[in-house]
Amino acid sequence: MKSPLWSNVFKNWNSQESEKVTALKQVPVFDGLSNKELEEIEKLTHERTYQSGEHVFKNMAPSEGMFIIISGAVEIYLDNAGTKNVLAELTDQDFFGEIALLDEEPRSAGAIATKPSTLLGFFRPDLLSLMDRNPALSSKILTNLGAVLAERLRKTNELLSPKSDN
Amino acid sequence: MDKEKNYIQHIYRLMLGLLAIAFLYVIWPYISSVLLMLIFAFLFTTILLSSVDALERKIRNRGLSVLAVTVGLIAAIAIFIGSFATNLADQAGDFSQRLETESFMDDFNGFIDNTKAKLPNFVKGGGDDVDAASKLNEVVGNLMSTLLTFAGALGSFVFNMIMVIIFTIILLLNYHQFKKSLVNFIPNKYFEVGLRLIFNIEQQVSNYLRGQLLAATSVAIMSIIGLYILNFFGANLTLVIFIGIIAGLANLIPLVGPFIGMLIAFSVALMNNLGIDAAQSHMLFNSIPSPFYLFDIALMFIIVQQIDNNFITPLLVGESVGLHPIMVMIALLIGGTLLGPIGMLFAVPAAGIIKVIGQEVSFVTKNAHLL
Repeated sequence: MKSPLWSNVFKNWNSQESEKVTALKQVPVFDGLSNKELEEIEKLTHERTYQSGEHVFKNMAPSEGMFIIISGAVEIYLDNAGTKNVLAELTDQDFFGEIALLDEEPRSAGAIATKPSTLLGFFRPDLLSLMDRNPALSSKILTNLGAVLAERLRKTNELLSPKSDN
Repeated sequence: MDKEKNYIQHIYRLMLGLLAIAFLYVIWPYISSVLLMLIFAFLFTTILLSSVDALERKIRNRGLSVLAVTVGLIAAIAIFIGSFATNLADQAGDFSQRLETESFMDDFNGFIDNTKAKLPNFVKGGGDDVDAASKLNEVVGNLMSTLLTFAGALGSFVFNMIMVIIFTIILLLNYHQFKKSLVNFIPNKYFEVGLRLIFNIEQQVSNYLRGQLLAATSVAIMSIIGLYILNFFGANLTLVIFIGIIAGLANLIPLVGPFIGMLIAFSVALMNNLGIDAAQSHMLFNSIPSPFYLFDIALMFIIVQQIDNNFITPLLVGESVGLHPIMVMIALLIGGTLLGPIGMLFAVPAAGIIKVIGQEVSFVTKNAHLL
């Protein structure tokens, strides 16, 4: 029979990578983080479950952070005078709401679960507390976040600029 | 039909609320002391959290960081109390020895007679001519019996402190996990607002406590400097550093606190200067009679308080709580009435927390359609 003492001492040996760490690895905001760092981030995240049709947040609602989809599907939409304008349909490993990690402005669009979904939330208060405890790790996250936003800005510029194929 | 259903729901909720209050009222005597311990542990955790987090950043180990910070703090407190108790015992021993000598009794009676003679007639009030020294002996005797009662209370205090330390260590070790578990209870709809509320409360309490601790440190340093200046002019005060530190710590309790350091300095001045003519007939600014330098000490503490109230506290604590002075006074009165000095200690941060909760509740009510 296995001794509970020894099994407790060696509980972290041969431990499998958690589903949450796997999901975090797919998010560009956490690019280049070691497994240990990802485990630290995992401790700060909040797992939330949503029913189909339940709002994750509404447009103009107060914002505190980003969500990563572990399983399920989420629709990002804008409500234009009663007409629902779907901006994106997100599924497993996708993420949204990351701008809220940087500012306190209200949400710029709504998010609604279209299937029973499990999301992982990573929020600004936790990022701020991480900055106090582990500035090196938080600066990696902030650099990645900057890169994600820069990429998005570049794509927006491309979309807005006139086609230069002539 | 719907209106009727709503009405019944309201009554049902009201009854549940009343039942909860009644239940709390019944169990309050059994849980109040534990709750108070937890509140203290939470406050200590808030004060120490940034040190533990900073140490963890350096040594990359939470357990060791908590151990180093708590052991360091306990050692500092033990050294302070031990050293203060030894010095105070020496002082008391010396004083009681002097009390035994007859010349001292004569000195004291002489001083009282002199003071009485200087008083205007209407102040004397025709009281009996009592032996002042025997009265002092009686006072000292009463003080001793009070001290014995105090020793009994000390036992339960030590037990409570040990429990608070244990709770603090557990909270410091698992603070972030505890917070996460607490947050998990918030429904999805209010999740982000709830997170913001908890974050704001944490900020409010830690800003207030850090500001107060810095203000207390500055009061302690200024009191020590002030007492040394008084000694330079012949006040003959001992235990200066201890008096300064106690004055600083007592300063954490608004309104009442500042007088505690002053009272200790008074008693030390009285003990050290009894029988010394120069001290008994000392004049403040060569014009105001200030026996035993009592008015000098009072003036010094008033100056320290004024510097603290007008420059240091507004600068360090200032906007951290953001309460109107009248609200601070009301909070202090309520806290003092409910829980005495401990209530006064917690009154301002508690009022700050209530204010934050009020702001969030009002935000949620106004923006309910967004949640």
